[in-house]
Amino acid sequence: MLRYDILIVGAGGAGLYSALVTSREKGVKVAVLSKVFPTRSHTGAAQGGINAALGNVAPDNPDKHAYDTVKGSDFLADQDAVELMCNTAPSIIREMEHMGLPFSRLDDGRIAQRPFGGASFPRTCYAADKTGHVMLQTLYEQCVRNGVVFLSEWFALSLVHNGERISGVTALNLRTGELTGISAKAVILATGGHARIYWKRTSTALGNTGDGSAMALRAGVPLKDMEFVQFHPTGLRRTGILVTEGARGEGGYLINNKGERFMKNYAPEKMELAPRDMVSRAIETEILEGRGFKDAEGNEFVHLDLRHLGRKRILERLPQIRELAIDFEGVDPVLEPIPVRPTAHYSMGGIDVDINCRTRIAGLYAAGECACVSVHGANRLGGNSLLEIVVFGKVAGEDALGYVTSAPEPSFDASAVKEQRERIKALLDGDGTEKLAQLRSELCDVMTYGAGIFREEGKMRETLDKVRELKERAKKLRVEDRDMRFNTNLQQTLEFLNLLTLAETIVLGAIERKESRGAHYRTDYPKRDDENFLKHSIVEMGDDGELKLSWRPVKITRFQPEERKY
Amino acid sequence: MEKRRVTFRIRRFNPADGRVRYQNYEVDVVKGMTVLEVLQYIKDNIDPTLTFRAFCRSAICGSCAVKINGYPKLACKTQVVNELDVYGTDTLTLEPLDNMDVIKDLVVDWDPPLLRMNDMKPYLVPDPEVVPKTAEEESRVSPEDHKKYDRFTDCILCTTCFSTCTAVKLDKGYGGPFQLARIYRFAVDPRDAVKEERAKIGFAYDMWKCVRCQKCADACPKHVAPVDGVMKLRGMSIDVGLRNNPGARHVFAFYKSLLESGMLNEVLLPLRTKGLKGVLENLSVGLRLLLKGKAHSPIMKPIAEHDTLRRVMKAAMEVK
Repeated sequence: MLRYDILIVGAGGAGLYSALVTSREKGVKVAVLSKVFPTRSHTGAAQGGINAALGNVAPDNPDKHAYDTVKGSDFLADQDAVELMCNTAPSIIREMEHMGLPFSRLDDGRIAQRPFGGASFPRTCYAADKTGHVMLQTLYEQCVRNGVVFLSEWFALSLVHNGERISGVTALNLRTGELTGISAKAVILATGGHARIYWKRTSTALGNTGDGSAMALRAGVPLKDMEFVQFHPTGLRRTGILVTEGARGEGGYLINNKGERFMKNYAPEKMELAPRDMVSRAIETEILEGRGFKDAEGNEFVHLDLRHLGRKRILERLPQIRELAIDFEGVDPVLEPIPVRPTAHYSMGGIDVDINCRTRIAGLYAAGECACVSVHGANRLGGNSLLEIVVFGKVAGEDALGYVTSAPEPSFDASAVKEQRERIKALLDGDGTEKLAQLRSELCDVMTYGAGIFREEGKMRETLDKVRELKERAKKLRVEDRDMRFNTNLQQTLEFLNLLTLAETIVLGAIERKESRGAHYRTDYPKRDDENFLKHSIVEMGDDGELKLSWRPVKITRFQPEERKY
Repeated sequence: MEKRRVTFRIRRFNPADGRVRYQNYEVDVVKGMTVLEVLQYIKDNIDPTLTFRAFCRSAICGSCAVKINGYPKLACKTQVVNELDVYGTDTLTLEPLDNMDVIKDLVVDWDPPLLRMNDMKPYLVPDPEVVPKTAEEESRVSPEDHKKYDRFTDCILCTTCFSTCTAVKLDKGYGGPFQLARIYRFAVDPRDAVKEERAKIGFAYDMWKCVRCQKCADACPKHVAPVDGVMKLRGMSIDVGLRNNPGARHVFAFYKSLLESGMLNEVLLPLRTKGLKGVLENLSVGLRLLLKGKAHSPIMKPIAEHDTLRRVMKAAMEVK
């Protein structure tokens, strides 16, 4: 068995920032466990930027950033957490700049900023269209400098605790196939989101399967606001691969088959830079009402037109986007519009944590997309996710450091390893009448149908039934690869089971939230209802495996709910 | 939709029995499909045991590099139909990357190259003269200075360059293309405090062993061209005084030869680079060239317009 003081699960921006903070402390044993090599983490795919009220381009301040964030969240965000995040933003950006992060620069040498959706000023710091990539690389480099221990290509299976206090995790060394217990006084979950539920129509990496959130739920830790899933307006037509909001930030137009900039009918002031939920619904509406385009494969889409920006600006500010469009769509945005459609992108909901990233179990923390503090409420603004992961990665790390100085030695219950060994054996010995790809595809279809961009009671009930049916059928899955070394067949099966676990929580929350707010849009309740639903949904799993839903009020400090207009 | 029946010939390796074999899979491919989509299709529908790495699908995580018809590429950004057209075939061979051990099927052990990078100080050491002490201020970096390192920050550690590198193949001590390029990235960052040390690290990791075959530049899916970083790092090593070594002397031998005659004096090159040892090492080749009448005299006449060349060289030396 391996032993650490602090074990961080996940090596994206949140995990690495926690690692940086905790590894500065001498005498504290820290390790980062990740199912991929750290720089492969999905933070690297974030393109457009990270928000901070530096005011380098136009006068700005953290209060305005906080207001935009709260308004963008459709007033569901907890305002104390939003204020913490927005107030920390300028200094944490500079901290990373001091670590070598290669931000794009203004002529006078200061960090450049660009406009982004839902923001009242150009507030988004960026490195061309590879901001997440360079951030991840920089944080990794500094972790190397600090001598952080990495357990790369390890897959966490379960949380081990005694109901009150965490004592570690069980995990699979993917390379050797060995299953081990890892004892730790504190565990920080930084495992990312779960948009892979929408398997065939998502911008996310193949591994965004909510592993940490599903583990937490099974361990009795509640999840919060799970019904809120963000569909990014501009995914590539075939693959759902992301085209950054920076493309609209730089001035890109959305065009329907009549050649109109249709956003004028939905958000006349902000146009293409309205918040993502609004733009996604606008695109879907255009398509549903016959004003979209359709290709030979049957894919429907609208156009994202960058041509008027000119070759020079596209090559300078959006070089990777241009290459993506050429490689994956055969379209050069310098010459032709890019075919796009909304794509499942971000999980606003996640593990229920307080402003210090603490969960219900002492010593167990969560940060980043897997967590719900909440700072994004019902809809996240572009440029706020990279910010959230570093701010709360830091908060979690600092709080965990304090916690482990006085926490007792964990008493790791060895039966937890045995339990997981049996679980995996059962998967290897399953009857195999069900196939993974089939179930995954059915889950995607039914979630897109009933818990996608537009939702309605009857369809959601059908979806819930279907998800429960899939859970039953999943018991008949079998892992075909019998060799435990680098068994990606086993890994994908475990990941799918995590997705399935979380899908049910999304539908459950969506059915009970009888209003429309942010990314949760109900055709049968098209209005926001502050009187009844200005509150967070909380889902937890009982010992019997049944899900239970409850509500918790939103923390409002300074910004009273108002109608959200752009 | 038009479909095309394609044979994917995939190298399999199962660590359980240590056997290597090639297995054929027939897949109907539509235009637009990437090699990664095909791999996923095979795993989902034909053979769940087929093992490969993949993550982001959008050419930024660096997980899915494999050899496609012998050439290292990211599976996620390689269009199947394009490859078929280029090679004029209906069969694509997929194999794991070279220069690393195979763990299973298409999965290689990239620990050695990645851990080697960790030993080479692949991180900024902030210079207190440039980087402010508190998080109240930013350091200033002009767009021109930013440009010097910007391209090199595009590296996604996919190891394609490493897998195809000639020097890596021949020299166990060679740092490797992406590793050296990253060292160079920090050496030209105005915020870095240990720029001179970086050139020395490059030297210690045998950067002079690069033969400039350009394979790394050719293979890099992000167009980083690591070799450019290696070349510039060499220049920096000369600037910091690492002149008395075969690599630097080789450069000076070229320089001297051009100054003298405007031609490359290949007869004197081994002597000037490696001294008597160099002469002895090259003796047999030299003699054979001599016998075939292909060796020139050690004394060479300056070319026409040699003065112009000297003026160009002088101007070039003054450009930093």
